[in-house]
Amino acid sequence: MTTTRFSEVAACQAAAAEGYGAARAAANAGRKVAGFMCSYAPQELFHAAGYLPVRILGREGGATLADEIIQPYACSFARSALDSALANEFDFLRLAVFSHTCDTMQNVADLWRRNRPEMAVIVVSVPTQTEGAPARTFFRRELQRVRQAVEALAGPVADDALWDSIRLYQKHRAAMRRLYEVRRTHPGVISGSEMLAVVTASFFMEKQAHLELITRLADAVAACPEDTPGPRPAVLVAGSVCQNADFIKAIEESGCAVVDDDLCMGSRSFSLPDPPDGDPLESLAEIYLARTPCPAFHKPGFDAAQHMLDRARAAQADGVVFLLTKFCDPWFFDYPYISRTLEAAEMPTLLLEVEQHLPAPAQLRTRVEAFAEMLRGRVASWA
Amino acid sequence: MGVKPCFAGVDVGSATTKAVLVDADGAVLAHALLPSGGNLAAAADAVVAKALADAGLARDAIAALISTGYGRENVAGRLKAVTEITCHARGAHALNPGVRAVIDIGGQDSKAIALDAKGMVKKFEMNDKCAAGTGRFLEVMARTLDVDLAAIGPLALTADAPARISSTCTVFAESEVISLLAKGESVPRILAGLCAAITQRVYALASRVGMAPVLMMTGGVAKNSGVVRGIEQAAGMPVVIPEEPQTVGALGAALYARDAAENKNTIQ
Repeated sequence: MTTTRFSEVAACQAAAAEGYGAARAAANAGRKVAGFMCSYAPQELFHAAGYLPVRILGREGGATLADEIIQPYACSFARSALDSALANEFDFLRLAVFSHTCDTMQNVADLWRRNRPEMAVIVVSVPTQTEGAPARTFFRRELQRVRQAVEALAGPVADDALWDSIRLYQKHRAAMRRLYEVRRTHPGVISGSEMLAVVTASFFMEKQAHLELITRLADAVAACPEDTPGPRPAVLVAGSVCQNADFIKAIEESGCAVVDDDLCMGSRSFSLPDPPDGDPLESLAEIYLARTPCPAFHKPGFDAAQHMLDRARAAQADGVVFLLTKFCDPWFFDYPYISRTLEAAEMPTLLLEVEQHLPAPAQLRTRVEAFAEMLRGRVASWA
Repeated sequence: MGVKPCFAGVDVGSATTKAVLVDADGAVLAHALLPSGGNLAAAADAVVAKALADAGLARDAIAALISTGYGRENVAGRLKAVTEITCHARGAHALNPGVRAVIDIGGQDSKAIALDAKGMVKKFEMNDKCAAGTGRFLEVMARTLDVDLAAIGPLALTADAPARISSTCTVFAESEVISLLAKGESVPRILAGLCAAITQRVYALASRVGMAPVLMMTGGVAKNSGVVRGIEQAAGMPVVIPEEPQTVGALGAALYARDAAENKNTIQ
């Protein structure tokens, strides 16, 4: 655990370190807890139904049980989470929610259902093409089906309750976006490792409690004098699931400042716009489809490379480090195009292929350090 | 004024530890190589002592020392540690300022580096986690085939055509080699096949970085003429091999040590 000057970060570090502990305690005290695998799960629906939604993460250690029923070229995140389920480490969950993003997620959901018959499983189908009225109509209908499935488990969900949850999540995402915003002008005040702890805590904590923490934290960071990364090259980290703090730590220990992220377990989860008034499900359908799309989906007009370049430039990054989970097909199909486009625009990139359960190996460290040296060499004023 | 100062670069590789001493003009005074063994700090000390003895210098003649290689954090007395990627680029540039691409195949990893006219790294790729298709791979195959490591290249070049080896995984390739032997395949053809397998793997890495002339190969495997010829054919350009391909990283580190001592550090 890194030291921090902010008590709010310390609280998040504690929550992140505790992991499912708080959710388990809540479950023991009678609270219904729902686990979700993917940031496309409409958490508001489960929250409104009285569940505490927590994100299902992988963990360190092998996936011996999962390896009996899933091929080794499924990503380590999926294998590890499934292994935890098979080992009955999720006995505090009443419900597991999956989204059909990639085929691996869909099949993990099926394996989960088969092997943990006592746990309810809901799979949310997200349209693969996320733009336009047909996609919204489809997704609204799907959310209606999900709502009915939740209501069958937990009783009726009133529109008012749903709106309360939608507004709470909206406030939370806006607060997270603000924190990201103030961090850009204070890269020496709040580090990438600290931000990762804040994001990870958001997966476990009660939304309202986390909202209060990050609101105070953003104020505290904003009150510090603005600074720069100094002589450290600034990098944006991009990719899918990144829960292993070792990777961000390795990047920072190599002398880079992690100033922003474009991670699924990061800014992507908070990229949903404010919901329009009216029908709550229509509103939910609209904002989930309007977010920065997961590479498993296609959003006409969305250029993944331009998006990354814009983010990197807005963060005044000197380079982009991709933390891609090995065997994550959707990201790896996009990666060559994105990295070539960034490099053509003079934005250097580094690819780190990572696995959840592996600590950062020496070669990874060498690569990160060499990238830092390369970035420092490019900036003449540091020579 | 006493002894003239010298500057040391120490490259602690997985198989071999190398040291290079340069003078204030960057001219090489001495170099030395020793097996890395199990005690990296001791190997680093010993190789520096060996180079100093060759140059007829005492330890206190070293004004600055920079370490590199996978054991770079184990070197005592270092001013700092710099990665082997940056050091190979610097060393290659010093040996031939025209170099724009370096392929380095060492004991347990391989790298491809694109560099600019000043010898700075533009882009690099490194092989993943395991030692497939590296020096270690050739060592194991040499033992399986009972061939001297140094003889692999010359023997491979005598083959009329390479045997088909589909894997650079040391374990899989060893089984393939044993099957080929059982089928009566000739040793030179098998060796040519192994060199071709390494070439394909490394060239895939190199293509991602972009190969432009002048292309230099460094690291122990650059001494293998079979692999070098394969890379030349794949890249469609000649490969420059320095006189001492294994000490290029240490040379780069020594030159950075000289810069650092003169306070014109280009990489911090």
